Amino acid sequence: MKGRRLIYLAMIVAVSVPVLLGFSLPPSRLVSAERMYSVVDEMQVNPGEVAFVWLDFGPGTLAENEPQAQVLLEHLFRRRIPVVLLSQYQQAEAALQRIPKEVAESLEREMPGQRWAYGEAWVNAGFRPGGQIFIQALVNAPDLSKFLGRDVGGMPIAHYPNFSTIGGVEHVKLVGEITGLVGVLDNIIQFFQKGGYRPTLVHGCTSITIPEAYIFVDSGQLKGLLEGIAGAAWYSEVLKQHHPLSDNSRLLVVNTALSSAHVVLIGLIVLGNIVALWGRRSRRPNG
Amino acid sequence: MDSTTSWGLYTVFVGGLGTLAIFSFLIKENPFYRFFEHLFIGIAAGLGPMLVVRDFLWPNIIEPMLGRTITVYPDGTTSAPYQPLYLLYLVPMLFGCLYYFIYSRRYSWLAKVVIGFTLGASGALAIRGFFGEVIPQITGSFKPLVVMDQGSFMLAESLNNILFVVTLLLVLNYFFFTFGREGSLQGKAAPLGRPLLMVCFGAFFGSTVMARLALLVERVQFIVIDWFAATKTLLGLG
Repeated sequence: MKGRRLIYLAMIVAVSVPVLLGFSLPPSRLVSAERMYSVVDEMQVNPGEVAFVWLDFGPGTLAENEPQAQVLLEHLFRRRIPVVLLSQYQQAEAALQRIPKEVAESLEREMPGQRWAYGEAWVNAGFRPGGQIFIQALVNAPDLSKFLGRDVGGMPIAHYPNFSTIGGVEHVKLVGEITGLVGVLDNIIQFFQKGGYRPTLVHGCTSITIPEAYIFVDSGQLKGLLEGIAGAAWYSEVLKQHHPLSDNSRLLVVNTALSSAHVVLIGLIVLGNIVALWGRRSRRPNG
Repeated sequence: MDSTTSWGLYTVFVGGLGTLAIFSFLIKENPFYRFFEHLFIGIAAGLGPMLVVRDFLWPNIIEPMLGRTITVYPDGTTSAPYQPLYLLYLVPMLFGCLYYFIYSRRYSWLAKVVIGFTLGASGALAIRGFFGEVIPQITGSFKPLVVMDQGSFMLAESLNNILFVVTLLLVLNYFFFTFGREGSLQGKAAPLGRPLLMVCFGAFFGSTVMARLALLVERVQFIVIDWFAATKTLLGLG
């Protein structure tokens, strides 16, 4: 029992030191995240076309999904691609409200005089229940803004100029799915398509679901993937290379703290195995 | 979280208390932990139905049915005529409500009608979804074992594809139980799938540990930066 508490303590110390010192190391290059950056960066978007970003996460996976949502939205906002935010998960309510607002404020601080206002840069269509049935109805709707009806503030989405002429699903150029939940990405992959048209799909997943997400990367169903915090950290680094004023310091500290915890964990596993082997050997009867 | 307003400061403070309460379980089970555990479950259970009503049922179903989405101007004209077709929403709503007859012994068959309809619709959706999701994966597994690019042999890509195809076949073979396989080549190859599966499970386990540590990092960052700052301000020390 006492030993277990010592392990908890070691992990907390390993995580806390980089956070307290604000110490960060450069993130590792991740090909899937870099590919996602290129997909978003090279996307040709005409007036009336939009990106749909689903934030399907709550407090349980906020640690990994929030940085992913931040970097994807920052990139879309920089490119002035109008974003429709929505969710299949009730507990995403706070993230849908807060994250785009914070990203817009940070960009406005970086570039005084420029504005990323609600209704121009993004609209929040909120939580939409129904999963597969809702998505199927959505992609078959002739006018997405009419189908979505009102945003979370009760204003008709068609009221906002950038979103008044979306038309059908063929005007959705990009779909981003940020989630740690099982099944919600499958809903998008299975049903977000119409008559052979499939928008470019990118995904931010938690570390737990990385092995499952790679299946979709390998089959070409996903054009880009952010693998947990490490994926978000590398995406933010690529953003910083192109936009030097972009601030990713907090994310890099988190990524470094995670690496520090991994090193301690690997050390503990090695130590544990050595102690176990030693114990087994010393218990072995002589002769 | 906005920690610049007093409401935001209290939110951060309570959030930090909740985190410390849940972490206190690492020392031992205690009432502080129990209280916050029940509080969290209660909030999560209550939040869901409230959000469904507030964000979906009320604005998208009830208000259009009641005509509350229509603006009446001072001269008596309206922004749009009332659409009586919205009342058709009542049909599936009433049909869905039949589910509650599950509590009646006499009329529980009415609930079975709803359950049957739901199962049928879910089954049809699952079949459609299967083709949308799995067929591209099957075609994606047809990889060339010898990769050539502009006439030159690509060793790394070729080895990658060979490894992929061999793993796929061995793992599929491991789960193939249709025929008796004692002594056959298929039977001899079956154990080879097992270590490959173990590698996969190891990757799953490693990624699970990584996800849990990411949660810990975020909470530690929240406590040492946001919570300490908010607590200091609330106590008048900052």
